[in-house]
Amino acid sequence: MLTKFPLILLLLCLSLFYCAACTKTPHDGEKGSYVTIVFTHGKIPGDYEQFKRILRQFERENPGIRVVDRTLPSSTDEQHQFYVINLDAGSKDFDVLSMDVIWVPEFAMAGWLRDVSGLLSESELHDIFPGPLEAVTYMGKRYAVPWYIDAGLLYYRKDLLDDIGAKPPKTWDELVRTARLITERSKGIYGFIWQGKQYEGLVCDVLEYLWSHGGNVLENGKVVLHSPENVRALTFMRELIVRDRVSPEIVTTLVEESSRHIFGNGRAVFMRNWPYAWNIFERDGSPVKGKIGVAALPSAAGHPSASTLGGWQIGINRHSKHPDAAERFVRFLTSRESQKTLALTVGYKPTRRSLYSDADLKRQQPFIASLHDILLNARPRPVSPYYMMMTQILQPEFSAAIAGIKKPSDALMSAERQVQHVLGVRP
Amino acid sequence: MKRSEAATWFIAPALLLLAAVTIYPIIHVIYLSLHRKLLIFGISEFVGLQNFLFLLKDGRFWGALGNTAYFTALSVSGELILGLALALLMNKAFSGKGFVRAMVLIPWAIPTVVSAKMWEWMYNGDFGILNYLLGTKVNWLGDPFWALHAAIMMDVWKTTPFVAILLLAGLQLIPPDLYSAARIDGAGPFRLFRHVTLPLIKPMILIVLIFRSLDAFRVFDAVYVLTGGGPANTTETLSVYAYKVLFQTLQIGYGSALAVVVFICVGLIAIGFIGIMGRRVAYR
Repeated sequence: MLTKFPLILLLLCLSLFYCAACTKTPHDGEKGSYVTIVFTHGKIPGDYEQFKRILRQFERENPGIRVVDRTLPSSTDEQHQFYVINLDAGSKDFDVLSMDVIWVPEFAMAGWLRDVSGLLSESELHDIFPGPLEAVTYMGKRYAVPWYIDAGLLYYRKDLLDDIGAKPPKTWDELVRTARLITERSKGIYGFIWQGKQYEGLVCDVLEYLWSHGGNVLENGKVVLHSPENVRALTFMRELIVRDRVSPEIVTTLVEESSRHIFGNGRAVFMRNWPYAWNIFERDGSPVKGKIGVAALPSAAGHPSASTLGGWQIGINRHSKHPDAAERFVRFLTSRESQKTLALTVGYKPTRRSLYSDADLKRQQPFIASLHDILLNARPRPVSPYYMMMTQILQPEFSAAIAGIKKPSDALMSAERQVQHVLGVRP
Repeated sequence: MKRSEAATWFIAPALLLLAAVTIYPIIHVIYLSLHRKLLIFGISEFVGLQNFLFLLKDGRFWGALGNTAYFTALSVSGELILGLALALLMNKAFSGKGFVRAMVLIPWAIPTVVSAKMWEWMYNGDFGILNYLLGTKVNWLGDPFWALHAAIMMDVWKTTPFVAILLLAGLQLIPPDLYSAARIDGAGPFRLFRHVTLPLIKPMILIVLIFRSLDAFRVFDAVYVLTGGGPANTTETLSVYAYKVLFQTLQIGYGSALAVVVFICVGLIAIGFIGIMGRRVAYR
């Protein structure tokens, strides 16, 4: 039995190759003439059938083009890995791809994406939020079209704030005060939770504090991490846990979903999270249904509020065999109409500003109008092909400051030196 | 055709397959580690040992090496002690022995990623069962001290059964008359264990140590799922670091150098243990 194993393995491999080969056979030329384009994307939340319906609609409107969609693993890191391996190898297996907002400059620099600057008209460009447009632009050209948008928000418990006659906080100090007042009255409830685990989400959170204290990471190509503003911001985050005690220690393990669970069970006054959580809180049977409000994140006195931009963009594989069909599909998927359908069915927030005053959307999601101004001010993480390297430096350093292993100033100094090294900047 | 010649032909396909799936990738990684290869910049140039020289200056590498060594030492010794105890227990004749043996293997049978996810919930500082049972408020995965120990505890839970089953096999090879003879000479339970059991299962213990150290030194999935290397890289092992460099920041050359270091360390551990084992066998 054991000796047969390699043979069996070999046969298995061969049969797999064979299958892979047969699925790859292009359909052009067979049965009439239509081209098949492959669209790869992350997991679609909610009703997948609704999403399929949109694809079928495209096929009806564009006879001669078929769309096959492939869902990649839901972890963003794994999707990045999939694209890197396949695009670097010059794969033609997929034509249209959805990308996290931080990947576009990287993929563009590597020469993996088709220039799609011409796909949007002047009037459309004015309608799209500036943050995502900045994020898809590399060296003056656009390499993707913004599909849906995300930004950090402050969720708060309307009922608890009303109890003490408090308003949603405008400054970080107000947030601390309000949180303390409420947690002193009702025990067993956390003041303010956010994403403090060492991962990409931590960078998103920390940037909001840096920006809302007047700090930044890069300015005109210069690394400005070790600044008094940034030190104040990071110190404040650490103090939320150890001095003000409004954020529990376990905040250093939280990600989006775990914080959403705590807040959704009515166990926190404030939470920083992305817009997706709203729909879940407002479902029937949710303990916090009708009790929550959403506001822009607070800021340090004298500085504007800032939230980190997230969201996904649609681009075209440079090696696609059907660039024209792919372009049509990108136009369709990012159109006003598709974005509206996706907002209504799967909750993707549109990148086109005019949709935020759309009557149907407002009826179904009353809070969408209040999102507009926040999204308008959402700032992309450093738009740089080096971003993936930068974040690998920022994550442990920010984590060290928040977990109290390093002083904020030391962590920022160390991060600054490493980022300078990556960018090739001599200090 | 001579028999030995025939044998060569018979094992040739297996060797070829092995060469294709293990030897070729190893050589390729070594080749890559001598290059400065950055995917997104289209850079690929030969730099000799520069990557390895940079390793020496890379604080993150030394931190990861320390974490990995600590993880390996603690988890393997924990598994050995608990596994031996469990094996001795299972070696006793009692009813339902077969059932117990099968039950004990369950943690080992669960895929690491699944059990890591399970432990992630149990370690949850907010509503995790561990804090509830212990009556504590430990921030297991978020505290710089506890996080690595939490990963070690999970590994011990998962692999102790494997160790126990191997040692049990060793125990069952010991002829019962040796125990009878020792008992007639007046040996108590402790002396029986010290002078009969332990010397005779030593070869098995060494095998366990080899298997487990090699595995533990390459640990990736448990840590990646539990903490992702955080907080502040206090749980980042060499494999996790290599993964991030290879697949997240796309520094193929430097990441390969890290992988080569893991490979060398693992090789040294194996050679070390095999050396000890060789001496034991010769001694006997």
